Amino acid sequence: MWQAIGILDDMKRIHTISILGILLVILAGCSQQSGQEVVVYTSVDQVFSEPVFRAFERASGVRVRAVYDTEEAKSTGVLNRLIAEADNPRADVFWSGDPVRPFVLVDRGLIEPYVSPQAQAIPSDFKAADGTWTGFAARARVLLVNRERLGDRDLPRSVRDLADPQWKGEAAIANPLFGTTTIHAAAWFSAWGEEDAKAFLTALKDNQVRIASSNGEVKRLVASGEVTFGLTDTDDAFVALQSGAPVEVVYPDQEGLGTLLMPTTVVKIRGGPNPEPARQLIDYLLSAEVEGLMAESAAHMPLRPDAPHPEHIRAASALRAMQVDYARVAAQMQNIQPWLRTWAGL
Amino acid sequence: MITRLARHQEPLIFWGMGVLLIATALLPLLWPMTELLRLPEGLGKVLATLGTGRMWALLGRSVALAAGITFIACLLGIPLGLLLARTDVVGARVILLLHAFPLFLPPFLLALGWFYLFGHQGLLGEAATAGLMFGEFGLVSVLALALAPIVTLLVALGLWGADPGLEEAARTVAGPWRVATRILLPAAWPGIALGAIVVFALALSELGVPMFLRVDVYPAAVFARLGGIDYAPGEALALALPLIPIALLLLAAERRLSGRRSFAVLGLRTGSRNPLPLGRWRAAASAACWLVAAVSIAPLASLALRAQQGNGFAAVPDWIGNSLTNSLLAGGLAATGIVIIGFVVGHGVARRRTGATVLDALAVLAFVTPAVILGIGLIALWNRPALAFVYGSIGMIVVGYIGRYAVVGLRTLTTVIAQSSPHLEESAAAAGAGYWRRLTRIVAPLHWRGVFAAWLLALVFCLRDLETAVLFYPPGGEPLTVRIFTLEANGPEAVVAALAVVQTAVTAAALALGGALLGRRSAP
Amino acid sequence: MNPAIELCDVTLRYGNQPVLEGLSLSVRQGDVLALLGPSGCGKSTLLRLILGFIAPAQGHLRLDGAVVSGEGRVLQPPEARRLAVVFQDLALWPHLTVQENLAFGLAAQKIPTQEREQRIAHMLARVGLGEKATRYPGDLSGGERQRVAIARALVLEPRAVLLDEPLANVDVALKAELLGLFREVLKEREVTTVYVSHDLSEAMALGARAAVLETGRLVQHGSFDDLRSAPATPFVQALVNNAAWKNIQVEPDGADRVADDLPER
Repeated sequence: MWQAIGILDDMKRIHTISILGILLVILAGCSQQSGQEVVVYTSVDQVFSEPVFRAFERASGVRVRAVYDTEEAKSTGVLNRLIAEADNPRADVFWSGDPVRPFVLVDRGLIEPYVSPQAQAIPSDFKAADGTWTGFAARARVLLVNRERLGDRDLPRSVRDLADPQWKGEAAIANPLFGTTTIHAAAWFSAWGEEDAKAFLTALKDNQVRIASSNGEVKRLVASGEVTFGLTDTDDAFVALQSGAPVEVVYPDQEGLGTLLMPTTVVKIRGGPNPEPARQLIDYLLSAEVEGLMAESAAHMPLRPDAPHPEHIRAASALRAMQVDYARVAAQMQNIQPWLRTWAGL
Repeated sequence: MITRLARHQEPLIFWGMGVLLIATALLPLLWPMTELLRLPEGLGKVLATLGTGRMWALLGRSVALAAGITFIACLLGIPLGLLLARTDVVGARVILLLHAFPLFLPPFLLALGWFYLFGHQGLLGEAATAGLMFGEFGLVSVLALALAPIVTLLVALGLWGADPGLEEAARTVAGPWRVATRILLPAAWPGIALGAIVVFALALSELGVPMFLRVDVYPAAVFARLGGIDYAPGEALALALPLIPIALLLLAAERRLSGRRSFAVLGLRTGSRNPLPLGRWRAAASAACWLVAAVSIAPLASLALRAQQGNGFAAVPDWIGNSLTNSLLAGGLAATGIVIIGFVVGHGVARRRTGATVLDALAVLAFVTPAVILGIGLIALWNRPALAFVYGSIGMIVVGYIGRYAVVGLRTLTTVIAQSSPHLEESAAAAGAGYWRRLTRIVAPLHWRGVFAAWLLALVFCLRDLETAVLFYPPGGEPLTVRIFTLEANGPEAVVAALAVVQTAVTAAALALGGALLGRRSAP
Repeated sequence: MNPAIELCDVTLRYGNQPVLEGLSLSVRQGDVLALLGPSGCGKSTLLRLILGFIAPAQGHLRLDGAVVSGEGRVLQPPEARRLAVVFQDLALWPHLTVQENLAFGLAAQKIPTQEREQRIAHMLARVGLGEKATRYPGDLSGGERQRVAIARALVLEPRAVLLDEPLANVDVALKAELLGLFREVLKEREVTTVYVSHDLSEAMALGARAAVLETGRLVQHGSFDDLRSAPATPFVQALVNNAAWKNIQVEPDGADRVADDLPER
């Protein structure tokens, strides 16, 4: 039954809750006011990038506010957000997990060049001379081979082996419509020319190459011995290695075109709200320390010769990298999408 | 002047709330459409993307998947609702609680739970189960199970609210089976239909689960044009167009149903009735119901186990950041806003005020339209220097939540207010009480339970949100669901699982606390 | 003096369905008018129109000579009309005590606290509920609730009180008792009253003039005698027969004695 006091009690409780809420907002507002901060959007997996930001916070005292994205099929739309915010940029820095996404921003004039003093140590293939973009901590596109299934046959040495009838039905590749594989496909188009690249992709189909949903899936197919080898990213490959699967990593085309490297890339957003801390963060990201951190935690290959790295991670300087103009690859990628869709039968 | 104001307080307050609703729910939906007209590449070229059969095939597939999910959810929810609401199944209340609880979690977490169970390295997993899971079969199963409680609950509510006289009259002349199929089922029909509409809408706009299970669905394809390397916002907007008629169709179906006002009686008639005896079927039916309950919470158990095994709980403090505070703060504020808007507008709907049903339809539309569209619109509308204090703060999430989930508070409060006689307010009006006084002194205290229940429900919906906030959360202000989603990529499984358990525990705590508060005294 | 309530040629439609057609009717200050008619004849609609919840499509409504609704518009909102209403379901506010139920309207009308308390105490004593002031409606008996409802209406000292079949769900014995009470308090206060009912005997017991509505039209308006001697329609005849069947003696000059003849509980 209705009791006046009881009702009052409950009304009060609701009031208390809302007042507490308002207080919290004010508190939250205040805490954001104090000190310097920098806003970074990143498509490098949060599990790897967040510890880097925390380390930067400790080193510089600048607070990092981040928006995370994830790669592969799961994107949370950071790129879209950067473009939607173009008229009133909220981000200072974009740290891309791949070397092509930033070009969407470059094309739209959303990037402000910044030549970091730390960029000097980065080989010139992996940066724009004018500071538009700077690459570091790279992944490589590698062949992961199951040694047990391989038996006493020779290791595949080139991505061309995917189309070699010798390996018919024994290889896997991730869907070239998505993720890093689509970058790789675009790299073939710009390195070999359209005709050759199309012929190669068609040959893959004829050779019954398994089309997996992701690079992680390629890794699984190889690790479990369902296929003999597959094209995947170094970070996935090292997960397989660490899990103790009977696999071996081959850096393909060391005698030819070279292995495709995909540096993570940092760009400075034009008109971002915190330009000075943005430069600080970029300098920090390009340091040997961060390349070391990324090598340790994410199996990303350091591009700087002076970056520390664990034994099993090869440094970029220690292998032949495919000569690519990442800007061209980015443009190529847009162009080949329709063809790739037909190729994939979608 | 003051008396003039007092005379106009009803339209002022009502349309004040109406404008808030329009600003949070309608404008962001319309905005992308105006963008479409201003595209540099021209409308025609963009619309040409719609001409490709590929996208239509994908849309057809997505609709078919959503229909399949709806079908299975009904197949599960209808008998379960009937059994749990009206028969002597052993432990019906507990079963209903266990079965319904996962509804209050993002489906993506449940998918994650299933993954830890049936994935390659899962507890029961092997290549075959994983193969089944990552595909249409997995998507339909996971989502059907996750959304079935909507049907179960609506059927149960419909049956509890139905006139007991009907059933009693039937039982004097027919056996339980006949009563169930001929009398109870028709009484539950509006609940079933509404449940099907809601399940279909949620299944069609679900992003997290199909992305996780690597199933190509239409909204994800739209989304991919926005976030991926395949960046083409014009195409994305053009591709979003076919979703709008679907949303409108759902809205029309929903309108038709609520036009019959079958839901005015939902839920609050709680007279105790003797359950139908199942006789020799009782044991079997009980076992089946318990099995469904067990399956419903299996993914949660799996999450907990995975977190425990990998010692994930220890790492929670390192990885949780401010996300829990963000979730609760944004959710609490949004729920408060939703309840205020929902109370005024819901009152208007219950009392059939002109314009109220339009606002109600609007709220439904914002809910059934894929969140991607709402998200882009909100960025375009709110990201301006003058509004930076909102856009750059947690206030932005609050605005997004209010737009998307206003319907939750609105509908709850409409139903609640419609239960009480309009005479209570009309007497007050005749006695000289203006609109504001009637709302605050009569309607609100009369329905404080309903108001609180609506607040709680709105809070839980905000807590489970992923797809709305993920598009525009302020840097460093991500809610817990978003953090779990972004950490999941290559993140340590045990930690992700532990965070999911935290999410589950917080939701459970909110519901339990609210339930305790509401249950403290029974209504007169 | 202007009539307390005056309807001039009022027409109201829901869609194409006419609910009230060219209705003209006035109630003098202090009069008790019984509004009779079959279900769905528009009685309750008329009441809601007088209260200001709906507006007439054509025609207008005056209270004490001032036009308050007309031509599709409510010019004065319900809360400004100084009317009071008792509905069939009584609509007592369950979350307020008896005393608070009475105080609500007085507070809304900004009556000073002291006067408020005085009027409430007096009113409750008058209807015999002095002891129950702090009870909630849910704790009261049916008869007590009826008393609260009429007290809540009258404590406002409204310019008119509208009663919408308040006794429809009350048993015979209690009905007689309450009719007696209603008649006394209404007379004492000389408050203009519109009493909606489908039972002529109730109307007579209150000493009311009767207005009979059928399908939205006023078919007859006059004293009980007028109705008995020249029933305008078969329905009026049935009303008269039904009241006579209830064995109620009616004096030619009105119904002053009726309640005394009814058995007290």
